[in-house]
Amino acid sequence: MNFALSEDHEFLRDVARTFVANEIDLARLLIPGATVADASYESNWKKIADVGWPGLIVPEAYGGSGMSCIDLAMVAGELGRALAPSPFLGTLAGTWAIIKGGSEAQRAAHLPPVAAGTRALALAVARADAPRQGQGDNANGTSRHPEPVEGLQAKSDGSGSDVVATVDGDGFRIDGTKSFVIDGGAADVLVVAAQLGAERRFFIVEARQSGVGIDVLPWRDITRQVCTVRFDGAQAELLPGAEAEVWPWVRDRLLLVLSVENAAGIEHVLDATVAYAKERVAFGRPIGAYQSIKHALADTFGARECANAAALYAAWALSEEAPNATLAAAMAQSYTSDAYVAATHQSIQIFGALGFSWEMENHLYFKRARANAAILGAPSSHRARVIDLLTAA
Amino acid sequence: MDFDLPPEHDPRRLEIRAWLERNPRPTGRQVAEAGYAVPHWPRPWGLAADPELQLIIADELERAHVDAPYHVNPVAVNNCAQSLLTHGTDAQRACFLPPALAGEEIWCMLFSEPSAGSDLAALQTTARREGDHYVVKGHKIWTSLAEYAKIGVLAARTDPSLPKHAGLSQFLIDMDSPGVTVTPIVDMSGAQEYNEVFLDNVIVPADRLLGAEGDGWFLCTSQLQTERVALSKPGAVWGKGPSARELLAGLIECGAIGDPLVRDEAAKLYIEGEILRLLAYRAFSDGVNAKAAGPEGAARKMIAAPHGQRVLELAKRVQGARGLIEGVQPFAASRPGAHTVFDDWDYAFWFSPGVTLGVGTQEMLKNIVAERVLGLPREGDRTAKVPWSQAGKTELAPA
Repeated sequence: MNFALSEDHEFLRDVARTFVANEIDLARLLIPGATVADASYESNWKKIADVGWPGLIVPEAYGGSGMSCIDLAMVAGELGRALAPSPFLGTLAGTWAIIKGGSEAQRAAHLPPVAAGTRALALAVARADAPRQGQGDNANGTSRHPEPVEGLQAKSDGSGSDVVATVDGDGFRIDGTKSFVIDGGAADVLVVAAQLGAERRFFIVEARQSGVGIDVLPWRDITRQVCTVRFDGAQAELLPGAEAEVWPWVRDRLLLVLSVENAAGIEHVLDATVAYAKERVAFGRPIGAYQSIKHALADTFGARECANAAALYAAWALSEEAPNATLAAAMAQSYTSDAYVAATHQSIQIFGALGFSWEMENHLYFKRARANAAILGAPSSHRARVIDLLTAA
Repeated sequence: MDFDLPPEHDPRRLEIRAWLERNPRPTGRQVAEAGYAVPHWPRPWGLAADPELQLIIADELERAHVDAPYHVNPVAVNNCAQSLLTHGTDAQRACFLPPALAGEEIWCMLFSEPSAGSDLAALQTTARREGDHYVVKGHKIWTSLAEYAKIGVLAARTDPSLPKHAGLSQFLIDMDSPGVTVTPIVDMSGAQEYNEVFLDNVIVPADRLLGAEGDGWFLCTSQLQTERVALSKPGAVWGKGPSARELLAGLIECGAIGDPLVRDEAAKLYIEGEILRLLAYRAFSDGVNAKAAGPEGAARKMIAAPHGQRVLELAKRVQGARGLIEGVQPFAASRPGAHTVFDDWDYAFWFSPGVTLGVGTQEMLKNIVAERVLGLPREGDRTAKVPWSQAGKTELAPA
């Protein structure tokens, strides 16, 4: 039993924090009118590739460093703290799908270039017509909050599916549209969930082929590229892994990344807001001397402690493949997302009208918090799974 | 990082189980002499135990249904007795510690006064030196255990010519001394958990002074900050009583979990409860309870107290109108008084507004976190820098 980070983990975190402080600059995004095209995705990715982080989770046999989810949490947290724009998350998602669902040949073909930093990936699983809250099924008489990814699945005969795969000679072709694809535009290779007969399966699709069209969405969080991807007879290669084996495993890890981003983001926003409250003077005193401000920030400090604990516990549970890892990841996402949304809103309030302007970073954090609370399902949908998991036990 | 708790076959567990087999119904004295009352203390009182061993001991004693010393004599074991290690005399340690750790002499804390709660240093009780003793005069309030206590840990003003914090001292007084009158307070739950204590020219021998004159403020704050982490569960009332896990089990059992609003709220509370468990273990793992806990303890209480209130509130809410009938429990499996009085869900709910008042009001805890953790500017106290005897006038003076 030792709830503290090891020296190795602290070292990795500190290295990442220094790297991010020196290399990542959001200044261009703070010019009114900026979009994700101004986010330096490519140059940031090159810097990240130079330090080897695309290969963090790639097993050593494929040229990566084969690190654990706790190691990853150190790096992903620091990237999240700085909102570092790059296809890191999309590449993680695609990498995990190939690690878990790919054949030996597929892993050997795709993972080494990822580890070398020469190939970016993305995972296309979400429907363009993702259901709103309340539109899911009403099993057990309870109102469910479907995830965009898992909700409204195709019927067993395949009808209602958004992307369909068909056999074409030795391979497959896919048709249809996926949306909310993180880092889709930056990806060289996509991993796509598509309907194959009665099953939903994953396919590897080269992004730069004529049957693939990618539109970057006007996504409010301009530190992250989110896309719609159209497939029109695109050539595809089937991953052998079954969806039920691959998706929950990948999803839990993606929820972990969101959770550590959220926890570190809360820390950053709290630090920045506390610093401002010490500096900004009103009625002859720093505004941080007033109890209304103090108490609000104390509450956020409490949330910060809780978010860190939840995220680190999930990292540990996933590293150990503990029996409660799925539960821990769902708990971490739902807690940290709600807390991040609240902390970023509060920071705008305490910065006052200044914090409401485009030229301040506050809104970038506010939007990242909102996006992280939606892109892989709302906190309430993960809470619903928490109760499902606990009542099934 | 390793979140695994010490396993069932841990040899340290086996050792304690063997001791419990040899001493199946141990007296408090036996528990204390084995070092299990304060395992984190140095020998001979404790075992200089690391956090893991402390956890194991607490766990094994609870499983064996041994009344834990920190439940029997909480003021001594959790808060005050450790001050005798640092500030007591050999004679005081020999006289007071063995019966305190054995639970034979219960202690109570004579700190709060009608006009000095959050602003404790404004206390007005005086202790005036007269030869080989002090004469104590004053009025204490919100004293738990006073009706059972043999020893009162008294904070009193020994020198009104000094500023408010500097003029305070601490004494270990006999609660059966002439001039001590204990009167119960009926709180809003209808129970009598607390008392008023009137001190009417009580004679306290000079050798009952703890530390030196003027050490009182330091002793009070270090004793109040010493937070013994609730070991087994984040109970709703200061770590005791029902936890969110039990709430969820109850909501499933009674069917209320089918309501989508209840379901979402129960999930939130469950998640918070698990996080509080992690925070408690982390604090424990850091070993903060072996020394005087700092503002981190205040932060944890700031999170835990309203969480506990919400746990009890949801349980009460799902009862509907039946929840207003005295003594009706929310869940069939409720076990009133199973371990502490707060295991009674109904009682714990009607007690729960006190959870953000006692042991530091929520507002004071937030001030502590904001000022001492986040480094925000401190509240000014214009009464703090002048002689106490002048402080009343200063307060009225314009800023």
